[in-house]
Amino acid sequence: MRSLLLGVLAAYVVAAIHAVLAFINKRRALQRVSEWAMLTGFVLHTAAIVADWAIYGHYPLFYLRETLSFLAWTLIASYALVLYRYRARPLGSFTLPLVSVLIFIAIITRPEPSGSAEASSMSTTWLFPVHTTLLLFAYAAFFVVFVASIMYLLQERELKLKKFSAIFHRLPSLTIVNEIATSSAAIGLTLLTVGIATGMLWSSSRDGRIWHNDPKEIFAALTWLLYLSLILYRSTASWRGRMAAWMGVAGFALVLFTFFGARLMGGYHVFG
Amino acid sequence: MSIVLVGVNHKSAPIEVRERLAFTEDACAAGLRSLVDGQIVREGLIVSTCNRVEVLTETADGQLSDTTERVIEFLSRSDVLPRSFYEAHLYTHTDDQAVRHLFRVTSSLDSMVIGEPQVLGQVRRAYSIALETGTTGRVLNRLVHHAFRVAKRVRTETGIGANAVSISYMAVELGKKIFKTLEGQTALLIGAGEMAEHSARHLVNAGVSRVLVANRTEEPAARLANELGAEAVRFDQLSDYLAEADIIICSTAADHYVITEPMAREALNKRRNRPSFFIDISVPRNIDPAVGKIRNVFVFDIDDLESVISSNIREREREAERAELIVNSEIMQFQQALRALDIGPTIGALRQKLQDMARLELTNQRKRLGPLTPEQERAVEALLMSTVNKISHPLLSHMRRSYDASDAETIQAWRDIFGLEE
Repeated sequence: MRSLLLGVLAAYVVAAIHAVLAFINKRRALQRVSEWAMLTGFVLHTAAIVADWAIYGHYPLFYLRETLSFLAWTLIASYALVLYRYRARPLGSFTLPLVSVLIFIAIITRPEPSGSAEASSMSTTWLFPVHTTLLLFAYAAFFVVFVASIMYLLQERELKLKKFSAIFHRLPSLTIVNEIATSSAAIGLTLLTVGIATGMLWSSSRDGRIWHNDPKEIFAALTWLLYLSLILYRSTASWRGRMAAWMGVAGFALVLFTFFGARLMGGYHVFG
Repeated sequence: MSIVLVGVNHKSAPIEVRERLAFTEDACAAGLRSLVDGQIVREGLIVSTCNRVEVLTETADGQLSDTTERVIEFLSRSDVLPRSFYEAHLYTHTDDQAVRHLFRVTSSLDSMVIGEPQVLGQVRRAYSIALETGTTGRVLNRLVHHAFRVAKRVRTETGIGANAVSISYMAVELGKKIFKTLEGQTALLIGAGEMAEHSARHLVNAGVSRVLVANRTEEPAARLANELGAEAVRFDQLSDYLAEADIIICSTAADHYVITEPMAREALNKRRNRPSFFIDISVPRNIDPAVGKIRNVFVFDIDDLESVISSNIREREREAERAELIVNSEIMQFQQALRALDIGPTIGALRQKLQDMARLELTNQRKRLGPLTPEQERAVEALLMSTVNKISHPLLSHMRRSYDASDAETIQAWRDIFGLEE
C-alpha cells in the first residue's frame, strides 16, 4: 500500500506546512487548509492501514514499517482530540511535521517478505494486537504531554523573565497547557497500564512467563513508574507547574528509549 | 476626477496648532456645507480628532490647485486664523497619495500609538456626519467604504493591535496568558487609586467576576467598591483575602512592602499551588521582589510592565510593515474599481465615435452636394454635429445618471452596446 501511503504523506506534509505557517502568521485560512488536509490524510491513512491488514493477513502493527505508520496514525488521532477539546492549534505545528517524518520513514523502509509465518502466528490471539495498539496510543498521549510541557516551560520561563518572544503570544495559556498535560498523562497512564497487563497475559498464555527481564520490559516499567508519580504528584496539589512539566519531558525521553532504544539492545521484544 | 487631502497630524503640527484647527461635530457639518459647492469641490469629508484634522475632498480633473487653495483658505475659518499660523504644518496629498493616507489613517498606521482601535470609530463618525450633511458622493462613498475594508483586513491579518501597549490592558493580557480565561477569576485591589481603578475596570470588562478592594483608610475603598460593584475588605485581613485572589493589583502609597514573601507563600499553600498574578504599580514597590521567585507566582512591577510595553510597541511596528503591503495592494484595487466607474472616457469616446460616423458620411456623400463655398461647407458640418449632439444628449445624460448611481452593470452595458473599450 505504498502508493496510498504516498498520498497520505502528501496530505500530511500540506497540513504540516500550513499549520506551521498558521502558527507564524496567525491566519485562520491557513489553519483551515491544514485541518482539511489533515482530515484527508487521516481518511487515506485509515484506508491504507485497513488495506494492509486485508492484504497481508495480519494485524498491521508488527514490522517497523507498520509500527511507524500506526504510531503516526495514533498521533494524528490524539492531536485531533486535543484540537476538538481545547482548540490548542499550536500543537499541530509540532505533531504534523513529526507525523510526516514518520510516514516518510515508513515509506522508505524496505517492505518485509509477505505472508511471514511469525507475523501471522502473533495475530492468532487478540491479546497481542490489543497490547501493541494500546501501547502506541499511550505513547501518542505521552507525546502530547511532552509538547504541552514544553509549551508550559517556555511560557513560564518568559513570564518569570518578563521578556516575551514572538512565540509567546501564539501559545495557549498556562492553565490550558497544564490541563492538556494532566489529562493526557492520565489517559496515557491508563492505556499503558492496560497495555502492559494484556502483554503479560499474552506472554503467560504463550510460554507461562509474564516477565522476561528484557530491556523493553524494564524501561516500560520505569516509564510506568514515572508517569504514575507524575499523576500522584499532580493530584496531591491541583497544580504543580514547572516540576510536573519537567517530568513530562523526562517521561517522554524514557518513552523514546523504550520504543527505539530497547530494539537496539535486543531481547524478547525484538521481532521482524 | 481627483482626490485631494489636506491636513495636520500629531507629527506635522504641535498641539497648539491642532487644537485651533480642530472641528466640533457641529462645526464639521457647517464647514462641509460651506466648503462643498458642487462645482470645484464636489465632495467633502472632515476627520477631526485630538491627533489630527484632515479635510478630504473630491474635485474635477484640472481643479486640483484651486481645490487645495480653497481648503487651505477654508481652514482659516473666514480669516479668524492667520494662514501663516498653520500653513507650514499642513500636508497635501492628491489622488493615490491621498488614498494611501486615508487607508493608513483608518488602519491606525498613522496613529500616535500604532494599532490603537479608536481611530476607525472616529473616521466612521466623521463619515456619518458627512453623509448626513450630504457632502459625500460616489467617489468618497466608495473610498471611505474601501478604507473601512482595508482597516478590517489589517486588523485581522496582522498583529498590529495584538499586544497590549497600556498598563491597564497589560493586566488583562497577561492574566489571560496565565489563566485560560478571566471569567470566574477574582481580583484584589490593594489601594484605591486611580490606576488601580482603571485596571480593575479593564479586568471586569474582560470577565473577572469578583473584585475585592482593600485600602488602609476604609472610606475610599468603600467608594471604589461601590463604583465597581466590588466588595470592600479590611486592610488588616489582607493575608486572608490574598489566597482567594487570582489577580492582585497593588498601588498604595506605602513606603514598605505590603505583601511579603511569607504572606505570598502562605496564600499559595492555601490555593493548593494554583498560580497567582501580582501587579505592582506602586513606587516605591509594595510587593517584595522575593515573591516573584516563588513557583507559580508571577509578579510584574511597573518597570517590568513598561519594558514589556515597549517591546510590544516594537512588535506592532514590525506588524505595521506587513500592514503597509496590504495598503499598497488595496490602493491598486481601489484604482481599478474607480476606473471601472469613470464615465468621462466612455462619454468622450462615444461622442467621438458618433461624430466620426457623421463626418465619414459627409465625406462619402460630399460629391452629391456639388461645389460649396467654405461658409456653406462649415454650415453643413455644424448642422451635422449639432444633430448628432442633440440626438445623443439624452443618451449621455442617462449614462451620467447610471454613473452617479455607481451602477457598474449599466455602464458596462452602455460600453458593450457601442463597442467601446474601457
